[in-house]
Amino acid sequence: MYLFIAVAFVLAVAANAQAQLVEKTALTLEGAKKIAAVAEARAKAEGARVVIAVVDEGGVLLLLERLDDTQVASVNVGIDKARTAAIYRRPSKVFEDQVKNGRVSALALHGAVALQGGVPIIVNEKVIGGIGVSGETPGQDEDIAIAGAAVAASFAKP
Amino acid sequence: MKHITAVVTGVVIAMLASISYAESVSDKRGLTLEGAKRVIAATVTEAKRVNAPGGSIAVVDDGGNLLALERLDQTFAASANIAIGKARTSALFKKPTKLFEDAIKGGRTSMVTLGSDLQNFTPLQGGIPLEWEGKVVGAVGVSGAASAQQDEELAIIGAKSLDYMEMAGIANGHQPLPVTYIDSQKVAASFAKGAVLVGEDENMMHAARNYMVHASHRDKAGVVEVHELDTDIVYVLKGSAQLVTGGTPVGIKIVAPHELRAPIVAGGEARTLVPGDVVIIPNGMPHWFKEVTAPFDYYVVKVR
Repeated sequence: MYLFIAVAFVLAVAANAQAQLVEKTALTLEGAKKIAAVAEARAKAEGARVVIAVVDEGGVLLLLERLDDTQVASVNVGIDKARTAAIYRRPSKVFEDQVKNGRVSALALHGAVALQGGVPIIVNEKVIGGIGVSGETPGQDEDIAIAGAAVAASFAKP
Repeated sequence: MKHITAVVTGVVIAMLASISYAESVSDKRGLTLEGAKRVIAATVTEAKRVNAPGGSIAVVDDGGNLLALERLDQTFAASANIAIGKARTSALFKKPTKLFEDAIKGGRTSMVTLGSDLQNFTPLQGGIPLEWEGKVVGAVGVSGAASAQQDEELAIIGAKSLDYMEMAGIANGHQPLPVTYIDSQKVAASFAKGAVLVGEDENMMHAARNYMVHASHRDKAGVVEVHELDTDIVYVLKGSAQLVTGGTPVGIKIVAPHELRAPIVAGGEARTLVPGDVVIIPNGMPHWFKEVTAPFDYYVVKVR
């Protein structure tokens, strides 16, 4: 009897083990480079002086580029925007709009900056990172970020 | 009288303006994104060659601000910020960060409090200054390799890649400077009275050009000269002169930024120069054409 319960318990643990792990898609440095390259090309075509930051799903920096003659303060702002988009899984513009529309408490969100220019990187409908751009106007920053993030569509497995 | 005063005042202001311009600003070299990427590429190549388990590589400018960063796959996340901190610390102190780790390990524990003043002060081995022609233009920081020792070894390889780097203009795919051609008649005319062949302004070499060429001519002795930045490479063509090098200039005056002059020098080494001789006078070395048998013509390349 005891033996039976023990075996059942072991079997149950084994069956559960599968549910305790999940396959995730992670952004590689190679992928981050492709995203940044497109954003960089777009920025250069527009004569934009910006920082381009790419973070992983956890909001931690994978790759950063500061184009020549970009204000240095944009380094941290760019990283902050990328992290916001990655860990909140939405464009950072959402929070800027909320604040603008009166939801000032959005400024209290932990680890977020309410500044347009951060865009999530999405593969197979999952957020696997974020790209943040800083240095020019909020709209131009975001356009560059969107151009970079769009590359991730080509990463999706068919 | 009032009119003259106004003119004189105007001239004085103009002179002050030109002097203060010359002394208030200076040319400096800065690292470009292209340069930062090359440093990272060299570091990554070395990391792969030695099978490093991972690595975050950060390159900052001379102000310690991040220019570029890459975190290799599977490298622990915290390494990104540690690499930035190492690079920043190295750039702001113009020293390898190992010095700080060693100093603290050696008992100078109070040094850790520097962290309160300096954002992201990271006294950990793995940050190396990036030098360009003897000047620190930034730093590279590595974190996340097999050990602090390997972090530093990779950073050193990355920093060395800058030695092989071309001038930023060329590296960015820009056109090189145009070829300079000066025909023999113009050269001869320049030697007749002594003139600058290349480099209009004696005191301001353009950042993209680190040399000047003089067609120098002397009829009589000169004064003691010290060029703080420029090395003179002299080739004697005509006449002869006694050249005194070294010693201590007496009654030294600053005539322009990095340019010192004096009427005489105490001590020094005397040589007689004749046509065909070559002399290289390093920057900072006092030199004086003390006696001249005219006409004394010599070709000088000044290198900064």
